[in-house]
Amino acid sequence: MMSVKNKKNILSISLSVFATLFITTLLLLIIGKNPIEIFGLIFQDVFASGYGIGQTLLKATPLIICGCGLAICFHASLFNIGAEGQLNAGSFAMAIIALKMSGLPIYIVLPVSIIFGFIVSGLVGLIPAIIKIKKGVSEVITTIMLNFIVLGIVNYLLLDFFAVKSTMRTEKLADNLLIPKLSEYFELFQGSSLNFTFFIAIILAVAVYILIYKTKFGYKLRAVGFNDTASKYIGIKNNKIILLAFFLGAGITSLVGLNFIMGYKGYFELGFSNNLGFTAIAVTLLAKNNPIGIIFSALLFGILDYGGLTVNQQVPKEIMFVVQALIILSIISIDKIVDNYYKPKK
Amino acid sequence: MNDILTNIFTITFAAQIFRLFTPYYLGASAANFSERGGIINIAIEGFMISSAFSYALFAIVTGNSLLALFMAILINIIFSFFFSLFTVKLKLNHIVTGVGFNLLMAGLSKFLIIFIFNSSSNTPRFEDLPNAPFLKEIPHIGEVVSDYIIIFTIALLFISNYILFKTKFGLRLRSSGENPEAGDSLGIMVRKYKVYGVLISGFLSGLAGAWLAGNQNSYSDGMIAGRGYIALAAMIIGKWKPTNIFFACLMFAFFEALEISIQISGTDIPSQLVQIVPYAITIIVLVAFVAKTKPPAADGIPY
Repeated sequence: MMSVKNKKNILSISLSVFATLFITTLLLLIIGKNPIEIFGLIFQDVFASGYGIGQTLLKATPLIICGCGLAICFHASLFNIGAEGQLNAGSFAMAIIALKMSGLPIYIVLPVSIIFGFIVSGLVGLIPAIIKIKKGVSEVITTIMLNFIVLGIVNYLLLDFFAVKSTMRTEKLADNLLIPKLSEYFELFQGSSLNFTFFIAIILAVAVYILIYKTKFGYKLRAVGFNDTASKYIGIKNNKIILLAFFLGAGITSLVGLNFIMGYKGYFELGFSNNLGFTAIAVTLLAKNNPIGIIFSALLFGILDYGGLTVNQQVPKEIMFVVQALIILSIISIDKIVDNYYKPKK
Repeated sequence: MNDILTNIFTITFAAQIFRLFTPYYLGASAANFSERGGIINIAIEGFMISSAFSYALFAIVTGNSLLALFMAILINIIFSFFFSLFTVKLKLNHIVTGVGFNLLMAGLSKFLIIFIFNSSSNTPRFEDLPNAPFLKEIPHIGEVVSDYIIIFTIALLFISNYILFKTKFGLRLRSSGENPEAGDSLGIMVRKYKVYGVLISGFLSGLAGAWLAGNQNSYSDGMIAGRGYIALAAMIIGKWKPTNIFFACLMFAFFEALEISIQISGTDIPSQLVQIVPYAITIIVLVAFVAKTKPPAADGIPY
């Protein structure tokens, strides 16, 4: 027997996916394209080959990771719009430390650079938390400003100190430091850069799920998010939770560097994140901040992302930005409409 | 360095400040009208993108800059009506709605610029908005004093103060943002006023975007460059008061003008660091000079 809550969730998520498909179809018709042909192409390229599946999972991996970080903040009603800056700071730090330690074995380099990247991202996340606590300034503004600041600083440090001449990237890590690709073990994914970070992302999602729903900290986190006056009265130290949520949430976003730097390219490159920090907001909202749900919504966005590339000849791939925005707007509005519908009538 | 210092004390530099000030104050006033009615509008950035792009599109297609301005504002008002449907009618979270709208506007313009103009970076060139005759000939400041929108923006200081604090409309708008229950019990159509606030913010941010595109005679991807967010910061630093916001925007414009002259003078300060100045200033001002901020009491709370 399905609970009413689950029924509602499934209904509103499927309705909003349907609404998005509908609007996208209209948009394609308006610009004179054949929607069936476009959707057919996407479906074929994404699902018909191991390469397509691999590339889709590769695109979904950082979205799962970043979404899990955001979910922690969102559960405490902290609107962290700063993931883009946070993840760049941490990934950059991760790459630099790993490069400095080249020559050491992977079981030393990997943990040290992960911890270092995590702390750097976490510290960037603490800035808006502290300003919020001390000055009452909404984290929305400060995280947005910090995006610009952090990206500027990373840009400066990279180009002036660490970049390979006349490129926008660092040197490549030694091969023995890279996370293995799945194609080395499974013939199916031949040519795809899908790597073991994908499994790390899945484990992370499960861990964050447990943290949020099954631990004392998660309970406090949700209490602060639900009603920060009530939480104070049951003895929760709100400020401590805000600091922790921001540190952990921002810190987790640094792990996207594992996928790109250690698992895919082997170096940090300017603009590698390509607005990942913002797309992940959409992914997290679609999943209603549930880490397990984030796996699935990240997969949907991965399909859109890779699918967009495959139809770029017919329609500019940028149409996927529109589709992603439509998904957010439809999920939040339809969710509310479904909610109102199920509410007992007075 | 001396070049920069002598530069600051010129009339041209002052004129430059007012040019940079215009989109900030329009955007900040836009956000303020919305927040005074209790609706947090972080989609100002997106609204500016949408109007800059629509102005460019219609200026190129029709060749008529006034018609383009009208269309840009009209499209923005339609978008802001949808924004009010989400935030007022459906009572959805304002921040989430704002993020969604920002992504939608940015995505639409990225998509359409490639689809229509076949370029991922910028549109062909087009006409600026007409200027006042004669005034334009005045040396140094002609470009500024002959620009109707800049003049309107400066006048907006008085207009906003008057509307918000001296009219019935302003009182009702503010009561919708401070204490909607009280307003409601007095028979004020609170939700209607919230919608008005959002529509005004669509209009003002529409002017800002269209002016920016007109001024640069071309729309380029990313040209709004966070101005909408800086406008929001100016509103917070200005504590939701039109006069204070005016000076906060002047401050941002001053630092941006400084940033530009530093870059032109070709010092060895790295440009990436100069570019983060406005954002860093925002954080520093918020941390160092502003006492605890206090938005309208019911700001962001759906009613």
